[in-house]
Amino acid sequence: MQNSGRLALLHFWVAFAVFLPAVVLGAWQMLMRSPLPAPLDDPDAYYTSVTLHGTVMAYVVTTFFAMGLGYAVAATSLGRPIRGATAAWIGFIICLVGTVMAVATILSGRASVLYTFYPPLLASAYYYGGVFLLVAGSMIWVVLMIYNMGLWKRDNPGHPVPLAMFAMTATAILWGWSASGVVIELLGILLPRSLALTTEIDPGLARTLFSITLHSIVYFWLMPAYVAFYTLVPQAAGGRLYSDTMGRLTFIMLLVFSLPVGLHHMFADPELGDGFKFVQSFLTFFVALPTLLTVFSLTASLEIAGRARGGKGLLGWVAALPWNEPIVLAVGLSLVMLGLGGFGGLINMSYAMNSMIHNTSWVTSHFHLIFGGAVVIMYFATAYEMWPRMTGRPLRSKTLACWQLWLWFAGIMIVTIPWHITGLMGQPRRVAIFDYSDPFVAPTAPWVIASVIGGAILLVSAILLIVILLLSQVGERKLAEPMRYALAVNPPRTVPSSLNGFALWNGILVVLMLVAYGYPIGQFFVLKSTVPAYEVVRASNEAR
Amino acid sequence: MAHDRGPFKLSNPWPVIGWGVVAGALVVSVVLGFGVLSRFQQNAPTLDLWAAICRGLGITSDTAPATQPQPALNTPTRIAWTPSTLEQIASGDAERGAFIAMNCVACHGQRGVSGSDVYPTLAGMSPAVIYKQLDDFRTGKRPWGVMGGVAKALSDQDSADVAAYFASQPNGLPPVDGYRVPEPGRSLRETNPAKRLAFAGDPARGIPPCAACHGQGGYKIGAPALQQQRPDYIEAELQFFAQGVRANDIFGQMRNIAKQLTPDEMHALALFYSESGGPQASIR
Repeated sequence: MQNSGRLALLHFWVAFAVFLPAVVLGAWQMLMRSPLPAPLDDPDAYYTSVTLHGTVMAYVVTTFFAMGLGYAVAATSLGRPIRGATAAWIGFIICLVGTVMAVATILSGRASVLYTFYPPLLASAYYYGGVFLLVAGSMIWVVLMIYNMGLWKRDNPGHPVPLAMFAMTATAILWGWSASGVVIELLGILLPRSLALTTEIDPGLARTLFSITLHSIVYFWLMPAYVAFYTLVPQAAGGRLYSDTMGRLTFIMLLVFSLPVGLHHMFADPELGDGFKFVQSFLTFFVALPTLLTVFSLTASLEIAGRARGGKGLLGWVAALPWNEPIVLAVGLSLVMLGLGGFGGLINMSYAMNSMIHNTSWVTSHFHLIFGGAVVIMYFATAYEMWPRMTGRPLRSKTLACWQLWLWFAGIMIVTIPWHITGLMGQPRRVAIFDYSDPFVAPTAPWVIASVIGGAILLVSAILLIVILLLSQVGERKLAEPMRYALAVNPPRTVPSSLNGFALWNGILVVLMLVAYGYPIGQFFVLKSTVPAYEVVRASNEAR
Repeated sequence: MAHDRGPFKLSNPWPVIGWGVVAGALVVSVVLGFGVLSRFQQNAPTLDLWAAICRGLGITSDTAPATQPQPALNTPTRIAWTPSTLEQIASGDAERGAFIAMNCVACHGQRGVSGSDVYPTLAGMSPAVIYKQLDDFRTGKRPWGVMGGVAKALSDQDSADVAAYFASQPNGLPPVDGYRVPEPGRSLRETNPAKRLAFAGDPARGIPPCAACHGQGGYKIGAPALQQQRPDYIEAELQFFAQGVRANDIFGQMRNIAKQLTPDEMHALALFYSESGGPQASIR
């Protein structure tokens, strides 16, 4: 993997090293909310934990994983060392410093604002500064991905960019657009207030800016998993990718339609008119299309592999697939969770049905199923594929890896299915302690206990993951198979320039974002609806 | 198709498809959202188009400047935590306040540390709390014989100054800053009733944790620190709230809570708070 092997490996290690403690926190949180006794049963500890679990899982694990995968894909799919390795290392250090700052501040109890910040709640400036450094450092990665793809196109005129690199660059561009919301919120509103440079906060403006990030970030998390679907899985299953063009279209549609839709996270917010909430919900339907395309493509690719392996009849190819390959097993499990989680998402984006489950446990359960389940299981499987190529040592045991994936799947299902049910029963989210003697709350008790058991299973699976990765880090060096990406059934010799670059799609995005967000954000500069901030820990006894 | 004339030329099908789909989606969604959805809603069956668009944007036709209600509303207090009120409080001069406070020591003790069960300790109390209570005494929203006369003699600036003075005095109430070190035993499972009420409240009776507003671990502007306060004073005020004799709490929050507490609980809470949160508990 030339110069990027160590770079990618370190990024992955940071991601998984913080992942395990965050899973421990998650398991503890589930226990704290349950009727069972929990250690350190203090609501302040709960909200600190939720902030830390959320910040680590949503910002740290995902960003480091995507960056690592990006560097690995750039080097292997383009067949040459990445350009700008020094800048990449600088970016890594900045992200790491930001992570340490944010984590330390949360642990000190001065940043219990949850990972969505909840203005006018106000945390310590060190927390916002840490998150800002993490996001800003990753912008170096964004630039490097675009730069490396551009250089390769210049050196290989008229050739199609390999799908894996095209897709990871689409991911990077999406992250660049997506992060703009949270960066403007941090630089423009939260950091100045937390440094006492301003005296008030406009929570409507802050929340609307954050909503730009809030939906598109989930596609930033999801696209590395889709890269695995399109470029790693068909190869590992012994087949070919059904359609290269469908893959390119999928990533383009994900880039364009995941951004101008953030207001569907703001349905209950009074400071935005219904008209724009409707426009953005309508656009949200379009972002379901690439997932439908992907499920089709993936199933078709797997069928090609299954039939090539001798499967016969309508469904005989399913059994013929190599289910003992971790990444193939992960795909099967991921598609089940993607189906269920996606269905829940369709409910969340429909205004009236959303009102039934707004702010209930249904919401937390949905994103644990779709992200913690469907996407993260692919992160594990991608790590298992990448590790031998990065370390030069074989994966210690495919059987153990498959066990770890099965445990994760079982844990997610046992955590999230009861959690969806308690949400429908009206259980609110972000609540630390429940009075289970209350007749309204009592029926949720057995479901919550089931989720606790699921959390324990997830913890075992996460420990197993780290054990497998550690064991695969040591051992005899063996020349690993070079990285081979899936070939399409009809590999393209040339590709339209619009499917080989992003200029057109960025142009379309500028217009879409202006129309979808121009008025919703612009209105706040006329409304001037600022309020005093509520610092979670006050600097002094003064009134302000 | 390697040289397909670039991404922005019309002879290339992809830009046509891309721009066409997006333009179509935007036009349809804007027409539906602003022309249809906003027009046919419950309260006004058919608005004209302009009013519908305004409603879709969030500008309703009943948006008008606020007028003073006549007769004036009867509120528990005149104080609202507006930026101007907070600025007035922050402008308090503690040195000038020391001079004014010479009139307070007879009851509230030397430097605001009360030696009597009847009068509360003021040393270390948030200036916003002192300012609001003085205003409530002045207007009669909080009736307590002597304090009414005392407060009427003080102007708003005097109140801010004396509040700043007492806030800066040592050896009194510890500051309430919203921070606490997490400890076990702060959930509904806690057996000590005072500690349970203080940190977990009682959801069945709709009682929030005292700590959410009074600390440790939470704060609200205008909610006084209770740690190290005179216990009989705390208990007496809880009883006054429960009876409705004291009625200057915004939205009736303290009255609603105190009505639900039993006399034993009031006593236990008063003792719990007066013994907790000594100087060693303040984290600096």
